[in-house]
Amino acid sequence: MNGTLIERGSSRSSWAFGPSGRHRDTLLLLGPCVAYLIVFSVFPLLYSLRLSLTNLTGSSTSGQFVGLENYRDIFTDPHFWGAAGTTALMVGSSVAIALVLGTALALFFGLNLRGSSIVRAVITVPMLITPIVVGVMWRALLNPDWGIVNWAIGRVGLPAINWLGSTDTALKTLVMVDVWQWTPFVFVIVFARLQSLPVEIFEAAQVDGAHRLAQLRWITLPLLAPAIALAAIIRGIDAFRSFDLVYGLSYGGPARVTTTLSFLDYQSGFDFQRYGFAAAMAYVMVVILVIATTVLLRLVQVRREDAVQ
Amino acid sequence: MNQDATPNQQRAISDMVQGLLEDRIDRREFVSRALILGLSATSIGAILAACAGGSSSNNGTSGTYDPKKYAGTQLHILMTGDENDHRALGDQLSQLKAETGIDLVITAPSLTPLINKTLENLKASKSDFELVEYLGFLTTQQVGGGYYEKLNPYLNDPAETPPDYDFNDLIKANLNNVGYYDLAAKKLGNGATDLYGIPGLHSGSVIYFYRKDLFAAAGLQPAKTWDEFKAAAVKLNTKDVAGASFVGANDFSLATVDWYTRFITTGGKLMLGSPTTKDFKPNLTSPEAVGALQMLVDLLPYAPKNVTQYGFSQNVDGFSTGKIAQMIFWSTIAGPVFNPNTSKVADKTGTTPVPAGPGQKSSAILGGWGVGIPKNADPAKKKAAWRALTWITSKKFNMYEEEKYQIDASRNSAFNDPSLVSKFPYLPNAGTADSSAHVIETSIIDEFFELNAIMNVEFNKALIGGQSAAAACATTQSQWEAVLRKGGHLA
Repeated sequence: MNGTLIERGSSRSSWAFGPSGRHRDTLLLLGPCVAYLIVFSVFPLLYSLRLSLTNLTGSSTSGQFVGLENYRDIFTDPHFWGAAGTTALMVGSSVAIALVLGTALALFFGLNLRGSSIVRAVITVPMLITPIVVGVMWRALLNPDWGIVNWAIGRVGLPAINWLGSTDTALKTLVMVDVWQWTPFVFVIVFARLQSLPVEIFEAAQVDGAHRLAQLRWITLPLLAPAIALAAIIRGIDAFRSFDLVYGLSYGGPARVTTTLSFLDYQSGFDFQRYGFAAAMAYVMVVILVIATTVLLRLVQVRREDAVQ
Repeated sequence: MNQDATPNQQRAISDMVQGLLEDRIDRREFVSRALILGLSATSIGAILAACAGGSSSNNGTSGTYDPKKYAGTQLHILMTGDENDHRALGDQLSQLKAETGIDLVITAPSLTPLINKTLENLKASKSDFELVEYLGFLTTQQVGGGYYEKLNPYLNDPAETPPDYDFNDLIKANLNNVGYYDLAAKKLGNGATDLYGIPGLHSGSVIYFYRKDLFAAAGLQPAKTWDEFKAAAVKLNTKDVAGASFVGANDFSLATVDWYTRFITTGGKLMLGSPTTKDFKPNLTSPEAVGALQMLVDLLPYAPKNVTQYGFSQNVDGFSTGKIAQMIFWSTIAGPVFNPNTSKVADKTGTTPVPAGPGQKSSAILGGWGVGIPKNADPAKKKAAWRALTWITSKKFNMYEEEKYQIDASRNSAFNDPSLVSKFPYLPNAGTADSSAHVIETSIIDEFFELNAIMNVEFNKALIGGQSAAAACATTQSQWEAVLRKGGHLA
């Protein structure tokens, strides 16, 4: 599709301005974009790559070249592996739960019950809030002394829960809040896809005697698969990079059980001013993310025929 | 000049005299170096007299102080927005302008952005700020990095320093924490004579807060020892009031206030050796280290139910609302605790120095900030920056901060002013604590915050039942050793 557009544009330019005009057009169209990428992406990437090979700290004016020492330190640091495990657990559970809930919500709202449009709008509110605000807000709601959540639990006779102060519950709480915020995102994507599914297929299935559950299993979900896969990938990347929620909600504690890779990287760079080490960790995270996304894309195999309505 | 001086000595003396003339060294430093080189008192006096007219610091000045000499200059200060310092300074900007004609613009981010913004500025070719406030724990990182202007020449110049500045009124401990640094020897405080920062806008240490009414009703005296502290906690603990509290969360003050105070007042010594000799080794498996943490673990039954999630604000709120019988804390919380508008126990609170173990002296960590002039600040504005710096660290400004915000001062006069003491009886205790406080040993290396963070995580884990006090100390010891080895402080 894009290729077709470029071809058309190119031939028009060629017709209008000749070969030199075509180059000028190309430069004009691509120039700003390329300049933007060089300034804001390529240069920072190269600069941080260089930084990752130095031992630059807060007090040193310029770091000395240390080769791959930072990378070696990362892979021998038990905190890195702890944070990697926590990140995997958090991303896996948070994305999985959000996908199930978001899809379920989309299917429910697909029934087009009365007043659903109002509820739909309300449901999407959490994803519009800045994650740092969500973290601080939930920290207050879950406060063990005066938080409204434990107060409400107490009113119905249940024991108070130590949401963020216990190693047993803190990560679960982090996942819960992340799911609360991002399930609406999955819902919006899946619901949009659901609305565009062809009615004829369902009518044909009904004629063939397929009951609702069979339609869901064999028609709806396969047709929704590309949207669910897209939501999973975007959510996975987003959850992997999630730093602000951890910062606002639990600050990585207690006992590092909610310290994710992003948070550990932040601490190394900004709390401890180990800039070289932090840059190296950021690069490791990018590599992990590229590999994970590639594998995920291969696994879900968003096939062309699935996407065709 | 010394007749028997070798050519090298003669060259050194000549360099020194040139340095004096060009303001690279001040008169005090000149005298110290001259004595080392063996110059007689007569020779030194003669050289100083000869140089007095030629010193560039006196060029263009009449030698008398003109408060409005830098009127019309705009300066910028980078300072903390986490404390009330920026509010106090903000209140007084118009007064500063009225008295000196200097416009001061405040930038006040919170701690982490402040540190990073400061480092960016100090390392840039030119600083955007002519004045920078730095945390005492970072003096080694920032002053030791060689980023600040030496202040001795300014201080010793009567044309630049207000006649009533009274430098000697600044508490020595604070000067040693944020002011004096020996760049050549990489040594902070005691013994160093080069001045790079002035204590301000606030200093302070840790004192003991207790409920006078509850202690009187129970027939108890404020605790002087940790055993008495625990006994009072046991006796005063009720359903509504916790017998004692402390910072139990994974928070900066868990290690620096509650653990460290107990540790040093029971005879603990945090570090052995020195970073320069690469034998800077932690002493965290010592009985004092484990004992200090165990004291906190033992207090859990008498502390607020969720004390392991209590940081700074939770303890201040808890005490101010009458839910805590006693605790040790930064003296700076006296502001909200003694303010009847924010505290239910303003008239029921007493303070004393922190308890100590048998035979030990009361002491705690020294907190506080320093203000310096970055070396890379606009050279044309450095003298104006010194003028503003003397104003914001003056007796008058210290008194204002103390009276309006109960910000712990950096001057003896503010802690002992009779009118202030009558309003805020805790001040003499806070002043004593400040004067006798300890610069934490790990603050002399760059990894201070990293070490502190490790300790807070492990100690908090012990408090929530994840490990014993001994295990927490052992884990911290091994992690600290790894960090110190990586940093080249431990072979």
